[in-house]
Amino acid sequence: MKKLGSLIAVLVLAAVAAIGLASCGGGDDETSGGGQGKQGGILKGTYASFPDYMDPALSYTAEGWTAMADIYVPLLTYKHASGDEGSEVIPGLAEDLPEIGKDEKTYTLKLRPGLKYSDGTPVKASDFRFAVERMIQLNSGGSPFYIAAIEGAEKFAETKKGPIPGIKTNDKTGEIVISLEKPRGTFTNELGLMFVAPLPQDTPIEDMSANPPPATGPYVITKSQPGKGWEYERNPYWAKANGKAMPDLPDGSVDGAKITVVRNEQSQVDDVENGTYQWMQNPPPASRYAEVKENFEGTQFRVEPTISTYFFWMNNQQPPFDDLKVRQAVNYAVDDRALERIYAGQLTGSQQILPPGMPGHEEFELYPYDLAKAKQMIKEANPSDMDITVWTDTESPNNEAGEYFNEVLKELGFNTNLKILNADNYFTVIGNQSTPDLDAGWANWFQDYPHPNDFFQPLLAGESILPTNNGNFANFDDPAVNKKISELGEEQLGPEEEAAYAELDEEIMKQAPWAPYGNRNLTTFVSDEIEFDNVIFNPTFGHYLSSFEFK
Amino acid sequence: MPNEPSAERGPWSLALRRFFRNRLAVAFLGVFVLIVLFVLAAPLWAEHVAETGPNEEHIVEQITVDGEKLDVVSVEGKPIGPQWFAADGKFFLGADGRLGRDEMVRLMYGGRISLLVAISAALISTMLAVVLGLLAGYFRGWTDTVIARVLDAIWSLPVFLIALSIGVALATGGFKLGPLELSGGSLIIPIGIISIFTVPYIARPIRGQVLALSEKEFVEAAVAQGAGPLRVMFGEILPNLASTVIVFFTLMIANAMIFEAGLSFLGAGVQPPNSSWGAMITTGVELLKVQPLLAILPGAMIMLTVLSLNIIGDALRDALDPRGKQRLDAALQFEAQAGATGTQGGAALS
Repeated sequence: MKKLGSLIAVLVLAAVAAIGLASCGGGDDETSGGGQGKQGGILKGTYASFPDYMDPALSYTAEGWTAMADIYVPLLTYKHASGDEGSEVIPGLAEDLPEIGKDEKTYTLKLRPGLKYSDGTPVKASDFRFAVERMIQLNSGGSPFYIAAIEGAEKFAETKKGPIPGIKTNDKTGEIVISLEKPRGTFTNELGLMFVAPLPQDTPIEDMSANPPPATGPYVITKSQPGKGWEYERNPYWAKANGKAMPDLPDGSVDGAKITVVRNEQSQVDDVENGTYQWMQNPPPASRYAEVKENFEGTQFRVEPTISTYFFWMNNQQPPFDDLKVRQAVNYAVDDRALERIYAGQLTGSQQILPPGMPGHEEFELYPYDLAKAKQMIKEANPSDMDITVWTDTESPNNEAGEYFNEVLKELGFNTNLKILNADNYFTVIGNQSTPDLDAGWANWFQDYPHPNDFFQPLLAGESILPTNNGNFANFDDPAVNKKISELGEEQLGPEEEAAYAELDEEIMKQAPWAPYGNRNLTTFVSDEIEFDNVIFNPTFGHYLSSFEFK
Repeated sequence: MPNEPSAERGPWSLALRRFFRNRLAVAFLGVFVLIVLFVLAAPLWAEHVAETGPNEEHIVEQITVDGEKLDVVSVEGKPIGPQWFAADGKFFLGADGRLGRDEMVRLMYGGRISLLVAISAALISTMLAVVLGLLAGYFRGWTDTVIARVLDAIWSLPVFLIALSIGVALATGGFKLGPLELSGGSLIIPIGIISIFTVPYIARPIRGQVLALSEKEFVEAAVAQGAGPLRVMFGEILPNLASTVIVFFTLMIANAMIFEAGLSFLGAGVQPPNSSWGAMITTGVELLKVQPLLAILPGAMIMLTVLSLNIIGDALRDALDPRGKQRLDAALQFEAQAGATGTQGGAALS
């Protein structure tokens, strides 16, 4: 008996030891922090669509900027924080914020020494000028910010022959001196956008979405399959060099991530709930929103207010929308109460360009809903062209918003043809002037930086009408408005400028280039494996990969 | 007194009698007729009961039920559920989603579109298949080789995937070929796609039957009397294919309905804001946990229609030609043994 008892004791101890060893796990466990606390693990995330581009010079969507925020660091960047704090500009690859000359036209920065790209190539000061020139040569949607601002950039944009005289660099000292055509109050913010993140000078002047350029941030994109997904790993030169040089930027806890495009938003929600994925970048679909909010708010789900405007654009240069009366009629016919329901409570109705939370926002209502008045105005306008193509994308509830707009136009007597495009390339298609029948459609805009110019210049200034990657979908080009946008852009933002922007908002809406309908909340939704409270939602870049941690 | 001889019955009359002896087929014929009446009644229901069209949105409206005002779509985006006759027939099956359209009206109009696409596609593909089958089976040689190879090529493709790709491309950009211009939402696009990709299913068996029939004495006799190829094919051979064609046509409607439902479900068939039963399933799936009827009802309609047509088709085959199945099998065997070049060979048909 004694021997049997000893044998049993040994077996029990062995079993306990085996169980204990098994529960420790390894450092690279895919689904947990590896039993070593918060560090490590491979995050599995999902997007409902592939970003417009996986190229920092070209991408101008929330999906693209979230995907690349921790990959490409510009000279300046934004604080890795949520809310207003996340709009603060801090040094990135530059040692410090720019020294601005007394004439407010000269910006001097110095590159931090010893920085490297993820392929080991040293980062040079002249890489910044290369990045700016490449972005302009690619006709990026962000190029108007820089073409208008930098000395000689406009000529470069026409001739595509450089170098841009307004950017002088010294690779030995790391000095970068940018000369502007005139003062620009938003230029510091614009230096923090990924469009001008330095890149190696052998980066091809073409869309690199299938093979993204080397990184300077804590992570690098190692695999990109447009339409399907992409993968991240740690940038080997972050720990060795860049991370030490930029202590304000986090190293990130996860060792990498695998992102899959899952177009069925219902499946995305189910997958996060059951842990197949740990994060979904887009909000839950409207049909599941209330359920997810009720079940997970505070533990895995959070509503994230944004500075955004959702709107229907109308092509101001083609009939019937070249007629002011028609455009105003459309504004009267759009009922933002309907759209609030379509967005299942995630949208607050508004008919303005500037959203609440943006400096310069002051509430007004020019077009209270009145369908009868709208129909009367159309009758009076008697447009010659009643055949309209309406564009929207496949992502819910934007597709329903587009269907709603389609029916509104039908109510007004137009013959409509609704085109619903894949969300992956929606903005690329409607931003291409050679696409036929760009009459009207759905769009949205999220703050790039907390300055009202960000909602006027790229979307409503004549200079922003581009042949490709166009952001001024309405093709709105009013010389007086262009002048005002340009003049206000020169100033630093203060109470006078805010009041002027509020006036500009109303002035433009009297011309009704769009029918804005509201401002939307986005969300953070993660699985229970993730340290929910640590996830950062930045007002410009969305979720930072570096803020995800396994429990 | 001698017995009166019994009156002679024609073959069609006999076939009808055989069909109506099949109680299951008669029952499902009744179901199919009810479905057709249901969809044909769409304008009546829309105008006189629901008082709305299939695409009309009622997002911010309210209806009165038992003296209480109810949102058609709540602020949280939840559509109203089935009201049956509580609101005088309005929103009988509820609203279809956050656009607040009457689900019953859309189900009826959606059925019209589904049946229209299915019947049109089946008609076109049957006609094309008969012509191709006749040409291939009668002329044999190079004609048969070319036609058979084209049919093989279509049949060897992953038909649904190709159809889906073409459908998605055309749904967005429309179709333009010379003077012919079709918008992305045109029903001609899914009809055309389904017709073309289902031709081989009928053409091959018909070709086999034509190969067998063209060796019959009555064909030889017609040729000997100076009948040209068109007269022989359409005057002599085609009538003998009538029963096969009728059966195939019925079965192809069912096939085309499934095909259309699949294309529309995946966004490559009927385009919004129009509805078909397949497209309605897409919308309904999104609200499956909230309003399951929105997906179940169109799915059930497709199932009932397809089941009815399959049972009717089988019964028609048995009624029109009791030995037809054997003939068909023999024809297929003959075709396989004759091969693509249409050379002589194979077992003679009795």
